[in-house]
Amino acid sequence: MAVKTFAAIDVGSFELGMKIFEISQKGIKELDEVRHAIDLGSDTYATGKISFAKVGELCNLLKQYKTIMSSYQVSDYVAYGTSAIRETTNTAVLLDQIWQRTGIRIQILSNSEQRFLDYKSIAFKLENFEEIVAESTAILDIGGGSIQISLFEEGKLNTTRNLRLGILRVQDNLIRLNAGVDQIPNLVNEMVADQLDVFKKMHLPKKKIKHMIIVDDYLTGLIQKEYGSSDAPRCDKFLRSLASTGPLELSRKYQLAEDAAYLLRITTLIVLYLMDMMGTKSLLAPGVTLCDGIVYEYAEKKKKLLPTHDFEQDIISSAWNLSKRYMSSMKRDQTLETIALKIYDAMQSLHGLTKRERLLLQIAGILHDCGKFTSLVNVGECSYNIVMNTEIIGLSHRERELVANIVKYIYLPFAPYSDFGTETSIDADTYLILSKLTAILRLSKALDRSHKQKFLDLDVKVKSGEYKMQILVRTTQDITLEKGLIGNSADLFEEVYSIRPVIHKVKE
Amino acid sequence: MADKKLRNPAYYFNRELSWLLFDRRVLSEAQDESIKLFERLKFLSITASNLDEFFMVRMASLKDMVGAGYNKPDIAGLKPEEQLEKLYPETHALVKDQYKLYNEKLVPALLKEGIHIVGHHEDLNKEQIAYVDTYFEENVYPVLTPMAVDSSRPFPLIRNRSLNIGAILQKKGEEEKREFVTVQVPSVLPRIVPIPSGKEGVTTIILLEEIIERNLDKLFNNYTIVGAYPFRIMRNADLSIDEDEAEDLLQEIEKQLKRRQWGQVIRLEVEEGVNEKFLKFVERELNIRDVEIYSITGPLDLTFLMKLYSLPGFEHLKNKPYTPQVVPELPEEETDVFEAIRKEDILVFHPFQSFMPIVRFIQQAASDPDVLAIKQTLYRVSGNSPIIKALAQAAENGKQVTVLVELKARFDEEHNIVWARMLEQAGCHVIYGLVGLKTHSKITLVVRREEDGIRRYVHLGTGNYNDSTAKQYTDVGLLTCDERIGEDATAAFNMLSGYSEPRNWNKLSLAPLWLKDRFLYLINREITHAKSNQPAHIKAKMNALCDPDIIEALYKASAAGVRIDLVVRGICCLKVGIPGVSENIHVRSIVGNFLEHARIFYFENGGKPELYCASADWMPRNLDRRVEIMFPVEKPELKDRLNRILNTQLEDNCKAHVLQSDGSYKKVRKTDPEVNSQDLFCKQAMAAAKAISRDVHDSRLFTPVSSESVKL
Repeated sequence: MAVKTFAAIDVGSFELGMKIFEISQKGIKELDEVRHAIDLGSDTYATGKISFAKVGELCNLLKQYKTIMSSYQVSDYVAYGTSAIRETTNTAVLLDQIWQRTGIRIQILSNSEQRFLDYKSIAFKLENFEEIVAESTAILDIGGGSIQISLFEEGKLNTTRNLRLGILRVQDNLIRLNAGVDQIPNLVNEMVADQLDVFKKMHLPKKKIKHMIIVDDYLTGLIQKEYGSSDAPRCDKFLRSLASTGPLELSRKYQLAEDAAYLLRITTLIVLYLMDMMGTKSLLAPGVTLCDGIVYEYAEKKKKLLPTHDFEQDIISSAWNLSKRYMSSMKRDQTLETIALKIYDAMQSLHGLTKRERLLLQIAGILHDCGKFTSLVNVGECSYNIVMNTEIIGLSHRERELVANIVKYIYLPFAPYSDFGTETSIDADTYLILSKLTAILRLSKALDRSHKQKFLDLDVKVKSGEYKMQILVRTTQDITLEKGLIGNSADLFEEVYSIRPVIHKVKE
Repeated sequence: MADKKLRNPAYYFNRELSWLLFDRRVLSEAQDESIKLFERLKFLSITASNLDEFFMVRMASLKDMVGAGYNKPDIAGLKPEEQLEKLYPETHALVKDQYKLYNEKLVPALLKEGIHIVGHHEDLNKEQIAYVDTYFEENVYPVLTPMAVDSSRPFPLIRNRSLNIGAILQKKGEEEKREFVTVQVPSVLPRIVPIPSGKEGVTTIILLEEIIERNLDKLFNNYTIVGAYPFRIMRNADLSIDEDEAEDLLQEIEKQLKRRQWGQVIRLEVEEGVNEKFLKFVERELNIRDVEIYSITGPLDLTFLMKLYSLPGFEHLKNKPYTPQVVPELPEEETDVFEAIRKEDILVFHPFQSFMPIVRFIQQAASDPDVLAIKQTLYRVSGNSPIIKALAQAAENGKQVTVLVELKARFDEEHNIVWARMLEQAGCHVIYGLVGLKTHSKITLVVRREEDGIRRYVHLGTGNYNDSTAKQYTDVGLLTCDERIGEDATAAFNMLSGYSEPRNWNKLSLAPLWLKDRFLYLINREITHAKSNQPAHIKAKMNALCDPDIIEALYKASAAGVRIDLVVRGICCLKVGIPGVSENIHVRSIVGNFLEHARIFYFENGGKPELYCASADWMPRNLDRRVEIMFPVEKPELKDRLNRILNTQLEDNCKAHVLQSDGSYKKVRKTDPEVNSQDLFCKQAMAAAKAISRDVHDSRLFTPVSSESVKL
């Protein structure tokens, strides 16, 4: 049968969710959604471990979910754990325990991957996504603990920022302040303004943002009900009426639990504030959850679904934006990127890495000089710190650490594996990738030593059996500097690949 | 917020008194001489069993409240004690009227038809005496257990609702000493015993207790019987279980069941003219008050009339039994129910239309290889239910079967536990109710894997999944595979299985979450329409109306000019005709051969009418303490049909009683043309069924049966 059923499981901080989907030529259809409250977050955040009892509860629920999965004859599943699992100190043990007891394998998702999945599912769910992001667009991903704002310009992801403005957090503050129903709008606005001031200065261009797409648990459903679709043009009036209605009345009118109505109101106030700030008039609420993102990612991987949008380009463009923020030379970064990729592609049969590592190399190339913003002496260390502390949407934590280490070891002597402590995510496999990519990037950098882009027109030839790599350069310029200094960088390359790079100048 | 002015107790009826009025309406059917004699017996029997339940549950609960010192006045401003004081004279009067009817009208009428009930064994002739004495020795004697009471033996535990004979004995030779004994009239033996009449064309019967009374001396050889008196007691039977404390709900109910029989005695029935000494003795032993003693001028426990009804050979005294008709959309046994539902939504109206298609829906799901899962809520099912069998079969066929069994269905617990265990053994996932809530909703979900993916089939109803009561109760049900309802059904079962509420509901409204708010919203919307001069009209049909919030909203709507037509079978705490409050509200009650049970709601909505059906009445217990489901009916033809059902009942001029502003009910006067809604529904269902059978037979084409359509 061409129809496949798939389960996506989201092990969240306060809730265990699962959606069952049907994947067919016609696309993806949601069949069922079950959610069960389970507070894993409090344990993890307080003690770094999930208590024995909670793990038992989680396993019992997962077993029940398995029964539901089998009632739909689910043929495959993906389960992701977010911060509550991610931030445990004994993650590997925990995941193994869950696997032994339930037969369900949970994988870990970083915040940036999680947001990337949300964003992916938006791209799949909104039919005219390309047209929308072709104009300026903001995606607002509203969670309990934080809000992620991503800005699009001309079809590409420009920037993405995580703000500690989650609605549960705001609600906590309001309760602590003992805020009356009428005070809430002002208080929320003040809290939001406090956090958004900097964001506005840094990222918001003077012109207006045309569209806003929201991902949330409360407002979306209402908008879809009110407008009969996910598209809410000119919803200003509707939102203002929501924001000015008390929770009790909201809950009656829309069949919401009272605490949900409270959170709905906070969500609405935050959205309104941002819409005002960005001058946005129309709102889109496609109604996606992490589970939707999981299924889209799955369908894409299994080639069940053709991507409607070039997501890799988004990752690259956000890397470029980062590099711009730290005033790197765009020209130099581009040169390095080009050279590195040419070498990488030529060596395909020797390094055996995948498209994904190529992307990481590319990003490392783009970001390799960002540390110079802080210090011209300690470039490697500074670049490492910048990358480690900046979210790059779509990259997992491990991938980000990999990129950070590449940009570090372009400058510093390459460290042996034993130097990477247990607190890093650099395991033996990752270390191999790190060394391979660092070697390529180091070599590429040496080839552009003079920063005059002499090597832009080059060919790379690897002759198997000769342990040699020929780098053929077509240039009229003098390349003595590069030829002379390649030696140091070539050492690592030779060590990793057992191949000696040799530069040949090709006469025109 | 409650409106103080509209919460004036003077605007409301006490629900118990209103209930008694309902029982009186049933009694009025028994009094109606235009109704066939055996049907009248049946109605009288119903008033008796209704009253029994009323005592065990409502009166008992009021007594509990008084006992616990609970003093909060009800919606009509009456404290529990005051309610009881008003109820005693009313119940005594009702019982008096029951027996007046029995003795003065029904017994003579029966005699005229050749049925002679021998009221006292003293009236038997010789031949009959010989017959009953032999009958006693052969059938009755072996199952009797007499129990004596004296200083060493305490007063025996008399079973709830059982009929007993108390006797005072005197030991032969000891003139002074009196002893007291009781014998339970065995419930395993038929209460009605036909005896030889000696006359052609006359059926003579006697009641079992008379036979025992006559032969009592055979039980006590050395004694003289001074006097023998039948009596019957009723005990507090309301189950109030503290679920938060009960570790295992099931065990708790089993425990309660054993205890129930020994609850406090709240009513004692004795024959009129019973010996004073005897009465005093029983009164003291049972700790019962004078007002709780009902002296009866005739046989105790009139429910035996239901048995009389089934006496063979009197068909001309009964209504012709009605056969529930074929549902035109699901005509034959072989009809693929799923295919039919895919074609269109199907509205079924029981008992005018057969309940079998619903049974077949589940049976077919159980055997269909493409069905993955069946989920159902069960409240009351029949003994030997084909639905239970099908569910067990489905589990054995490897389907995921989830059944939510409501153990707390009144008086049915024992029965429910047995088959719930059976389902569990068959491999079904059985949920034994929800803590703190009764699951009253009637919903079935079938998940089926089809070529183009998963499809969900849903049945939603206003009545229980009970194939035998479905022949007696009027109910509507909807079969649909509408995706949005399917999603909601899945979500509803997820919630019943303990998972979180869905982010939003498409079509269904659930109690205790949203249903009341939804009703209030719908009523208020009519108010808005009325105020802006748009069409506003509410029509609703239900079994009971006593939720104060709803009544208040209706008062507001009436005051705003919304026309409100209600068909409320039983309790109605709303008052009509209060100036400025309820002048636009009309309430009628229909009591007919079938028990009115459907809940249908119509909201005019400014000219875009919306129609809903629900498992819930407008009662606090339905809206606040039970899981109930309301579903919209949206297909235009089906909406029309529901609307016609409501309109027909509002036009009924044969079986309707109209609530007056003084709180009494007045039977409508028949006008031409006569509208008897239940009769009309029967005729319509028959015509619809006939139309499709003609379709098949009148066709000039032969339809060969293909091999695929023959199921092997």
